[in-house]
Amino acid sequence: MLKQIPGYLKDWRLHAAALLIVLLAESIGTISFELGAGMILILPMIYAFILGIAMVFTPVIKEKQFKHSEIMTTALIGLLVAKVSLNIGPAISMIVQVGPAILLQEIGNLGTVLLGLPLAILLGVKREAIGMTFSIAREGSLAIISDKFGFNSPETRGVFSIYLFGSIFGAVFFGLMASLLASFTPLNPLALAMASGVGSASMMAASSSSLSAVYPEMAAEIQSLASASMILSVATGFFVSIFIALPLAEKMYHLLTKRKSDKEAEEKREVGS
Amino acid sequence: MSKQLFHTVLALILSAIIVLIGNWIGYEVVPTEALMGMLVIILIAGAGFALKMIIPWKTIPGILYVAGISIIVSLPITPGSEQVIEWASAIDIQAFTTPLLAYAAIGIGNSLADFTKLSWKSIVIGSMVFLGTFLGSAIIAEIVLRIQGIV
Repeated sequence: MLKQIPGYLKDWRLHAAALLIVLLAESIGTISFELGAGMILILPMIYAFILGIAMVFTPVIKEKQFKHSEIMTTALIGLLVAKVSLNIGPAISMIVQVGPAILLQEIGNLGTVLLGLPLAILLGVKREAIGMTFSIAREGSLAIISDKFGFNSPETRGVFSIYLFGSIFGAVFFGLMASLLASFTPLNPLALAMASGVGSASMMAASSSSLSAVYPEMAAEIQSLASASMILSVATGFFVSIFIALPLAEKMYHLLTKRKSDKEAEEKREVGS
Repeated sequence: MSKQLFHTVLALILSAIIVLIGNWIGYEVVPTEALMGMLVIILIAGAGFALKMIIPWKTIPGILYVAGISIIVSLPITPGSEQVIEWASAIDIQAFTTPLLAYAAIGIGNSLADFTKLSWKSIVIGSMVFLGTFLGSAIIAEIVLRIQGIV
């Protein structure tokens, strides 16, 4: 019987380390402090993340644990999605009511291109910029880009770098960003909840649990909207990426780099004359 | 496949135990009180992952099945949905995200070598990409909600 249990479940080092981190993080609890007009919340998940990274550098965690950890995150994401999606049923009439907002805010996911691409070009990034900014670079995006441009293309290098950044900092970044925007901008928690629904369950979870901590009385609504919006993003993301986001990124890249090279050419001519 | 499913269920149970302990320490809910809710959540997640294994169209992510089942279970017309939701409400969402980030952080060890190759430009651009999708969606949602007079 015991032989049938796969190694990652018997990896007591890993689970003891994770449990220890959870116990530490949860017993510290949420730390909140006021800053100007708003309030900054540091949630246990943030310490858990920092402690986890620190743990990697101790002899407790070895290479074997890294791999096993990934399987556990998949299981936890399954539980988490089941939990947050249970909020959708009772909220279904509210979700229908705010349906237009949920549908239209999906367009906002193109903000990756609109905000990211000009910055990338400003920083002197070449064609990597297309891969870096057409989406939030999750697994589906890797497939789309390497399929279209080939595995050794600059576009693929670009999407891989953001994939890596997202895998490491994505959830923490979304968690902090959500609570900062909730505290310091007039954006409504419902709008922020919808925005939390990006094509990654862990990023959605981090930002919606941050929002739930800032607005505990609205937790159920926030989680139902975030979950509904994530489901929509995951379901449509692939097609939006191929037919809208990627062509947009390419077009914008050509427009911006053309203007840049025109300018450079002009400057050269001026210097020459 | 049944073996794979068995392993998945075991991983779900183990994660659930850690979630229940965190829920106890952080949110003062005794595990026995949260047990029924957690059992339902394990069943939903397990059923979703099982569907992913059965259905041949592999491009559909497993979490979509999980979410789909969860929504059906929680609909007001589903018998017992109110009870299930009440059970599940005993577990704080943060009790899930804290161990998730703990394991995720340990899993990062795998890409730590790659991380040193990540340039500062990627970090700056990545931040802007995430801010872009979040802010873009939030602003559009805010405008539509205001036009509709909901907020």
